Formats: sequence, structure tokens, C-alpha cells
Amino acid sequence: MSEVRALIVDDSSVMRKIVERSLRQAGLDALVVFEAGSGVEALEVLKSRKVDLILSDINMPSMDGLEFVRQLSSQQLAVGVPIVMITTESSEEHVKQAIMAGAKGYIRKPFTADQVKQRVLSLLSAA
Amino acid sequence: MMLNGVRRSVQGYRCDHATTKREKSMTPTLRDSMNLVSDPASLDHSVHEVFETMLGLECRRQSSLESLDANRGAESVTAVVGFGGILSGACILCCKASAARRIAECMAGMNFDAVDDVVKDAIGEICNMIAGTWKGKVPELSANCGLSVPAVITGSDYKLHVQAPEFKIRHTYSFEETHFEMTIVCDGLQ
Repeated sequence: MSEVRALIVDDSSVMRKIVERSLRQAGLDALVVFEAGSGVEALEVLKSRKVDLILSDINMPSMDGLEFVRQLSSQQLAVGVPIVMITTESSEEHVKQAIMAGAKGYIRKPFTADQVKQRVLSLLSAA
Repeated sequence: MMLNGVRRSVQGYRCDHATTKREKSMTPTLRDSMNLVSDPASLDHSVHEVFETMLGLECRRQSSLESLDANRGAESVTAVVGFGGILSGACILCCKASAARRIAECMAGMNFDAVDDVVKDAIGEICNMIAGTWKGKVPELSANCGLSVPAVITGSDYKLHVQAPEFKIRHTYSFEETHFEMTIVCDGLQ
């Protein structure tokens, strides 16, 4: 697989590292990772960087993940880029809200590297 | 230290999320699911799932409650994740500094000499995942109860006080040579 540029959005630096490690374990060796600690930071990153994949937490201070995804759409940023929500919230209602906001995938915490691999590779191959 | 501030931060959750006509006319209630909410096994399963999946650690619930109060004077770390909505309360993880560092080591894949920001971040996230997994075991709770971002307290001489909780589950778990304490306190039930 050619170079993949991923944006990982989570207020926890440890979780960002775990997600990055999972992506590398998924075989994405040519991986370029950008990080953001909130939706606000992520929007700033996307104004100057092009990415192929976005993985975002939902429950964050400043701007939560759902609002971040809605802002992407309204600001016409990262159009067509697959977005995966990674979150402790797992109800059908939360999944529905994420999909309606524009997410293409959903991974519940706690997760295994294999779950990240399956979800990400299927989205990247479909993109 | 009082937990009311943490709980207040998520109390608006239900108002924000229950806005459709259908939801207003079918106000969810937990009264019928209280046996599930207060089931001690739900907390055990949640703790095991998070520790095994995220840390690769097997932890065991200790039959006797060895309180961390016995370690008063030693540095400890406490993470608090509040929840609000159909049920309000908090999920609390408390452990000695050495246990916090070990959890962070397993999570981040690096060593820590002290309880720094990364260790606090890791403990907050573990508490957050346990809280999310625990509430996910009750469908009504999963859909109608929001979580706060974690708050983490460190120090050597402090106590957490909760005013008259409706119910409380407090378990101690051990892993490797150390242990930690998980507490769920609930004070508002619809």
C-alpha cells in the first residue's frame, strides 16, 4: 500500500500513540501521522495538510468528535476522506449520530489492533 | 474533595440528547434495569475486558476489600469520570503510584520513573474505558447517559467524599504484584 497520511484526533496523547501503533501493526508501514488533541486543533491541521484517513475520539473538550465531523462537512474540509470514530460510547444512538455526521466507521474502546486493521483497511481499499 | 463538580459537568446530557418528540414522549427509565445497573459482575467484566484488551494484563478481583486507605501517606493516583443523564454519578479508579506507572507502561510501551502527565493521561483513559464499558452493558444507560472527560488527582493525603450515594459498588482488583480499587457511585436515578 502506498503512503497513507492519517490524522489522529484524541485528547489523550497515550490513546493517540496506541492508535498509531495499531495502524502500523495493520501493515501501514509508509504511514505519516498527524495528531490533534481536539476538534479545534484538528480543523487547523486540515487547513494546511491533506490526509487520507481520519480517526477521531468523540468525547473531547473544546470541540467533541461529532461536532468536528460536522464542521468538516460545513467547511468543505477533507472531502471524501474516510472518518472512523474511536470512542467509549457504543450505543446504537451514538453510532447513528456518528454516521449521520459523516463518519464511515466506528470502533469501540477498548479495541484490539486487529479491529483497527480490519476497519481501516476496508475503508482505505474502498476509497 | 467533592465529586459534585464532575457530575454537574455532564448533567445537561439528557436535555441535549433527548430532543425528538418520540424521545420526549417515551422518557426512558432505569427502574426496571436496576438489577443490571447494580450487578457487581458488570463492573468485574468491564475491568477485565479493558485490562486484557488494552494492557494485556489479567487482573483478579480480591475477595477481601483491601482498602488503599492502608497506604495513606504513599503517593496515589485517582481518576474520576463523571456520568450524567438518566443516571448520575461517577466511576473512580484509585491506585498507588507504582500501580499507575505499571498500567501506563503497559499502555504506552515505555517506562516511567514518576507519575508524569502521560501516566495521569493513561489512568484517566483506563477509567474512561471502564466507565464506558460498564454503562454499555445496560442498553438504557448506554443510550441515555453521557461521560465527562476524566479528572485525575495525585497526592499522598486526600480523601474523596460523595454525599449520600443512592448506591455504591466498590471492588479491589490485583494484577501482577499490585492492586487498584474501582468504585461506582450513583446518586441520581430517573
